[in-house]
Amino acid sequence: MSDIRLAQWQKERERECKNLSSILLKLGFGLEEDQPHILGERYVMRALTTESGNKLILIGRRKRDNLRVVIKAASDPAGGRELTHERVCRAALDNLVFAYQTFATPQELLFTQQDGYTISVQEFIEQSSTFLARPLPEQFALALGGFKAQESAHATTRAHLRRAARIFGVRDAAYYLNTFDTFTRSIEKAAPSDRQRTVLLKRTRALLAEHRHTISQYTGFLTHTDFVPHNFRVRNGCLYLLDHSSLRFGNKYESWARFANFMELYNPPLVRALEQYVKDNRTPEETFSFTLMRLYRLGELLAYYAGTLQKCDGDLYKLNTVRITFWTKVLNAALENRPPSVDTLVAYQTTRDALRSTEEKYRQLGLH
Amino acid sequence: MLDSSKLMHIVIATPLYPPDIAEPAPYTKELARRLSKHHRITIITYGEYPEMIPGVTIVAIPKRHALPIRLTRLSIALIRHARHADVLYLNNGASVELPAAVVSLMVPIPLIIHTSDARANIASTKGLRGMVARFVQRRARHMFSFPPMPRPEILPFEQRPEEALARYERWWHTQITEVERILTYV
Repeated sequence: MSDIRLAQWQKERERECKNLSSILLKLGFGLEEDQPHILGERYVMRALTTESGNKLILIGRRKRDNLRVVIKAASDPAGGRELTHERVCRAALDNLVFAYQTFATPQELLFTQQDGYTISVQEFIEQSSTFLARPLPEQFALALGGFKAQESAHATTRAHLRRAARIFGVRDAAYYLNTFDTFTRSIEKAAPSDRQRTVLLKRTRALLAEHRHTISQYTGFLTHTDFVPHNFRVRNGCLYLLDHSSLRFGNKYESWARFANFMELYNPPLVRALEQYVKDNRTPEETFSFTLMRLYRLGELLAYYAGTLQKCDGDLYKLNTVRITFWTKVLNAALENRPPSVDTLVAYQTTRDALRSTEEKYRQLGLH
Repeated sequence: MLDSSKLMHIVIATPLYPPDIAEPAPYTKELARRLSKHHRITIITYGEYPEMIPGVTIVAIPKRHALPIRLTRLSIALIRHARHADVLYLNNGASVELPAAVVSLMVPIPLIIHTSDARANIASTKGLRGMVARFVQRRARHMFSFPPMPRPEILPFEQRPEEALARYERWWHTQITEVERILTYV
């Protein structure tokens, strides 16, 4: 990050925290000194396909009993809408008549709009260890439990779909194809030119279009579009969902896909285990739907990083171009139905660790 | 009396079918797959993109329509296929019981009802649904309840559940034997 952008970001962060501190004090909460979730690359993060704005994730304490809490706050209108939408989704999830299981969620302690801020305070879920520090079988069991909880909500009738559309949004095959086109345009516009990447994206698009029936076949399921360890926590063997704003009714394997693409970098054996599980227990159509969704989400990843390039410079710019190259290689491997090579993973991780800022490295500690 | 050693045309009407995940969806698919080895099977159900089974005809009525339209379309599909079938096999549930009631008045076909869906059973004890359920049950040649046995999962990091899978196969063997026996006597 250049000095100017860094200084700007630090200034904004300090101002927001100062404003929030005094508001929160009146509401009976205080901020902890250490705030890892507003550091590093957090400032360039913006979801592509869900309502997303600038918001701060802060750690604090309730004054009366020192209870540790998570405070989400936004002065940005889009951020405020995201928090409000998340609240609506949380409430709706509890009342879904066509769901067979539900997620555990942290208790909401306060939701308010005050002095230009939308503020949501929830209990902090302490966990004995991070997700990736747990044994592999436990990681698999937790992830599978999370996917099954999502799949248990299946909107099929007209009434279900109307309700799902009103609150969560519904994704069908046309949505996936259209947004993939949007990803492709964003990538071509913002990322450095790469002929191989263009060809791979065209191939992916053709495959998605050819098999839109298979995509459609498994839509209508509750799916968390950002189901990765920093969006859930585990306490006493129970998975608590932290981010409800990313819940949609779409292809059930979209959630699996996001998780698998993430773990391809962080824990490849977990991805192999998930792939084997689907192959052993689900239909061939479902196995293929999983593959299609992974390809779709790789397109989104590429578009995401392409979109960050205009917001950053220096080492972060270099890092995000390296990320685009890396995820292009992962897309290539996925189209060939194989995992990315160990060399590809190691080379990327080495470069990433060299280019990542100290702040971002600190933010990443304990995140997954 | 029907002779089930001959090829029979069996129409299976079910409210749920994969990609639906709740029972009797997976049960119905597995039943159809196994019965199709010796019989001609047609499945009538609700859905947009049902999971196909080689050699089995599946007629799926989209659920996105309003209820009266869904029920009418399923009734028409049932009449059309039941007319040329030997047996109508019904998984219980109001969304197929009403069409089956209509079919039973119009088409002289033996009706078998499998009352495996506990939620549907409870829902059909009172009111209009109860009336329809009782009407259809009175017209059935045979009713039985075989709570579906879910297929044991093969989990990574665990030993393949050979015993549970063998038990699952034995359960299905018993299930198919019983269904074939019922088909013989309706």
